[in-house]
Amino acid sequence: MGDHSAIRQEIIAKTIQYYKARFDEKEFIPGKTRVNYAGRVFDEKEIVNAVEASLDFWLTEGRFSENFAEKISEFLGVEHVLLTNSGSSANLLAFAALTSEKLGERRLKPGDEVISVAAGFPATVAPIIQYGLIPVFVDVTIPTYNIDIAMLRGAITPQTRCIFLAHTLGNPFDIDAVMQIAEENNLWVIEDNCDAFGSEYKGRKTGTFGNISTISFYPAHHITTGEGGAVCTDDHQLAAIVRSFRDWGRDCYCAGGENNTCGKRFSQQFGNLPKGFDHKYVYSEIGYNLKMTDIQAAIGTAQMGKLPLFCKQRKNNFKEWHRVFSKYPEYFILTEATEGSDPAWFAFIVTLKEQAPFNRDELTMYLNDNLIETRNLFAGNLTRQPGYLNQNFRHASNLDNTDYIMNNTFFLGTYPGLTKEMIDYSEGVLDLFIAGKLHDNKEI
Amino acid sequence: MIIKRYRSVVVSLQSHGEGIYTIELQSLNGGYKYAPGQFLHLALDSDYDGTGQWPESRCFSMQSNPDETNIRITYAVKGRFTTMMETHLREGSEVWLKLPYGDLFTRDHVKVNTVFIAGGTGITPFLSLFTHESFSGYSNPKIYLGFRSSEHNTYKAELNRLCNRHHYLRFWYQDVDGPINIQQICKENGPNPDYFISGPPEMIKTFTSYLIENGIPDSQVKTDDWG
Repeated sequence: MGDHSAIRQEIIAKTIQYYKARFDEKEFIPGKTRVNYAGRVFDEKEIVNAVEASLDFWLTEGRFSENFAEKISEFLGVEHVLLTNSGSSANLLAFAALTSEKLGERRLKPGDEVISVAAGFPATVAPIIQYGLIPVFVDVTIPTYNIDIAMLRGAITPQTRCIFLAHTLGNPFDIDAVMQIAEENNLWVIEDNCDAFGSEYKGRKTGTFGNISTISFYPAHHITTGEGGAVCTDDHQLAAIVRSFRDWGRDCYCAGGENNTCGKRFSQQFGNLPKGFDHKYVYSEIGYNLKMTDIQAAIGTAQMGKLPLFCKQRKNNFKEWHRVFSKYPEYFILTEATEGSDPAWFAFIVTLKEQAPFNRDELTMYLNDNLIETRNLFAGNLTRQPGYLNQNFRHASNLDNTDYIMNNTFFLGTYPGLTKEMIDYSEGVLDLFIAGKLHDNKEI
Repeated sequence: MIIKRYRSVVVSLQSHGEGIYTIELQSLNGGYKYAPGQFLHLALDSDYDGTGQWPESRCFSMQSNPDETNIRITYAVKGRFTTMMETHLREGSEVWLKLPYGDLFTRDHVKVNTVFIAGGTGITPFLSLFTHESFSGYSNPKIYLGFRSSEHNTYKAELNRLCNRHHYLRFWYQDVDGPINIQQICKENGPNPDYFISGPPEMIKTFTSYLIENGIPDSQVKTDDWG
């Protein structure tokens, strides 16, 4: 018992040694090393923290969760940060919270309409359907890949109650316009900030404008905890509701291993339960168990120290890709930051112009054959996905741009593990592809 | 706000007699963050190192306001835990705090003609608000305070500052005036304002029942009754 601190120090020292032996400095070999679109970037601090949390063996929310949540709170300048097990869970919790009866007349109810876009990731839309509300899809603009504000105005009906939007691949939507429309029409705004942690709009961090916002810590994202996410809000009531939905729906807010932190565990009356029924087992919402573990939070705590640098590197990589693709303005539409924004780009988005002498899949297959990873803009047009075909949703406008994106858009990584060397190599591959295509066309 | 553990040191300890103490605590790991009216958990366990299971603790209202560096709490020796506090706590003693808890003043409420009723050390969460800049957002607040005697009012300095700001303040000293008169308070303020009540459990229970029975909607009666 007495020397556990010494053993712990020895384990930590060995862990640092292990990191250096196993993960430190890898050489990039053009044509042999993959140019991934994303990946976890870490050093010994993440592994040391994970080992520390393992040695604590507290496992559920503990000291690292407190630190991680506090660091996020300070970074964004928000009051409440509720950690959860994924960005998708964060979206589910954010949306579920707005259905709570505690919100009275303001709560979202089945049949209400929620405005979103179809050019995105399903986790933004799935909760709307899961709770029996109606997604109303509005087209996006190219080259911002965010909601078309004029079409958004036209989509509002008396049934509209909420706007649920992602900042597409790190590029903030037109927040001023969206918030103004929301205010004029008394709508909730959920900011899906999963791809934009660190982006700014008019000098303020995204994820701080809506009633509630979400973050993802999946490895492709700005920082990672493996799986993981968070819900952020300045609203005390919404924070309490999110916590309840996250923790089985219970009314009590004690963390794991805690009891009676409110001091009135056995003195209150709820529902039709007898007075004094144990508050720890009172359920005021139909909830889930979507908590994060302390080991995940330990990794996140170390990652938070790197976030500003990561954002800077993402911006630099974006600039490099922009230089590469701007050589071919006749073939590519290059993404543009929303006016007034400073995106911490999740990716570099490219859309092929109609007159390009090759199609998207030819190019991305060529890049992938040369070990340069690409991704399509997630689901393309969600309304065409098999799971969505028979769902109850409404098109507020044509989705012409969304369809165009489905067929002609892809993205490359900007993650901080990407080096200039990798982008230079990719540039050479792209040049060869285009030269080859032009040559083929001449032969024809 | 993020609930966090703070290793803390007792920087001052004041005895008010009859087992009532005010202690001032300073954080050893970063500034405290909380809102007026919230409470904390205090643990004495000297073996606790900040990891794993949170040790046995008790809740105390913070009477300091969030703009102050240190936290002040007042406790009365009533049971086993507070007896341990009396025995072990000295200037320089280290304790663990976990905070913030509670939503007394963060719940939706009307800030016009708001009524604050406190008995004895129940005033502490109110002091946190009264001394904070956010209290300037209240229009025409009415404050009713009861103490066993003038000598038991150990908060005179803070309360004098309130008087200087021309707030409505009414004291009941039980040895002279009798207990706080809820009938009178209810009659003076009527059914419109929000009522905050803090004090001994029996007082909270009785006052709450009286207000509700006399037409104050229960959503307008807000209590700090964790104790």
